[in-house]
Amino acid sequence: MDFVPGGELSRRIREGDVSAESELIRQFEPGLRVLLRRRTGGDHGLLQDLVQETLLVVIQRLRGAGIEDPQKLAAFAAQTARNLAIASLRKAERQKTDVDTDATDRNADPAQNVDAIAADIEAALAVRALLRELPQARDRLMLKRFYLDDHDKHVICQEMDLSEAAFNQALSRARKRFREILEERGFAKRDLLSLGL
Amino acid sequence: MNLQHIEQYVAGRLGEEESCAFEEYCLANPEFARQAEYEQRLKAGLAIVARGSTAEFVRSDSHQARWNFAAAAGVLLTLFAMYYVWGHHAARAAKPLMAAVATDSQRSGPALRLAMVRGSENAPVLPDGSVRVEIVGLFDLGSHYSVALDRLERNTYDTVATLYSQHPTSPVTLEVMVESDQLKPGTYSLRVRKQASGEESLDFSFVRF
Repeated sequence: MDFVPGGELSRRIREGDVSAESELIRQFEPGLRVLLRRRTGGDHGLLQDLVQETLLVVIQRLRGAGIEDPQKLAAFAAQTARNLAIASLRKAERQKTDVDTDATDRNADPAQNVDAIAADIEAALAVRALLRELPQARDRLMLKRFYLDDHDKHVICQEMDLSEAAFNQALSRARKRFREILEERGFAKRDLLSLGL
Repeated sequence: MNLQHIEQYVAGRLGEEESCAFEEYCLANPEFARQAEYEQRLKAGLAIVARGSTAEFVRSDSHQARWNFAAAAGVLLTLFAMYYVWGHHAARAAKPLMAAVATDSQRSGPALRLAMVRGSENAPVLPDGSVRVEIVGLFDLGSHYSVALDRLERNTYDTVATLYSQHPTSPVTLEVMVESDQLKPGTYSLRVRKQASGEESLDFSFVRF
């Protein structure tokens, strides 16, 4: 594992160094997004809220009591995010039983809904563009089987008469192009911007 | 940690302990986490596209000519159907959701310019009213273009209006009128395609608040 300056960051934050807090956000935000994306079922709004809430909890803790082992700052942040995700899930479960649908509709914020769905839609647009660009039907089918049908790589290679090297090469090309499309369309930066970074 | 771990995590194949270790590694390594997030987004995007239609995955290049013929027949059929429907409902129909730019007064109203901008950070917002949408691209003045307006939902996208046989106003612009007030808030995409050609469509997304 790479060196994480958890102890150093913790010390600087405790001493009131605001730039250390920004560093911590830059360091942890991508990982928190991965962790929470898995636990928020595509709800982009909730994902954003939980990322911010986690960072807030971690920073407040470091400003105050600090953590027992500052070298385990990443583990502490990850566990905080998991706990917040579980709490949010429980809250949503409780609310399911007594939702006033009319009131929910009346108070719905269209702008927020748009924002909530935007990230996945952007990914879908990029995927659609990617699929159009892929020269061979075989590559498109391969992506579907690998990502959607969760077929094992070896099984796909065997059934599609592909070497593993050819499979990995096609997959790598698709990933690279997907990332480029998102970046070309400015979709890659949106999440960072929403955090004000 | 390597790419294989990312694949396994995104596919949900890592055990509890391995997942925790993976997530902590992501927190400690932002660039690795970004790679993992692209993988998550690729999977999510594929799932949405597949919910709309799996045809996108199985489209066969060798059948392109057949698809072109089918598309042309579809266009003719749709044009006939549109002519028939409009003919019968013109009296009670409000302004169409999308139409060609027909008058000079439309040019002086609200407008939205859609262009593929590298590094663009926000989807453009459609203003209220009758909006002249100026699509920027490379167009062939001698060709007809179709313009389809898709509404993007969480799980799918629905085509809410399509115009055929549109002429570009210049080699770099094609314009259409969109009745913004008739659109529900949400994310939309305009797809512009050169008719009777195998060329890929140009996609432009925008938001209606």
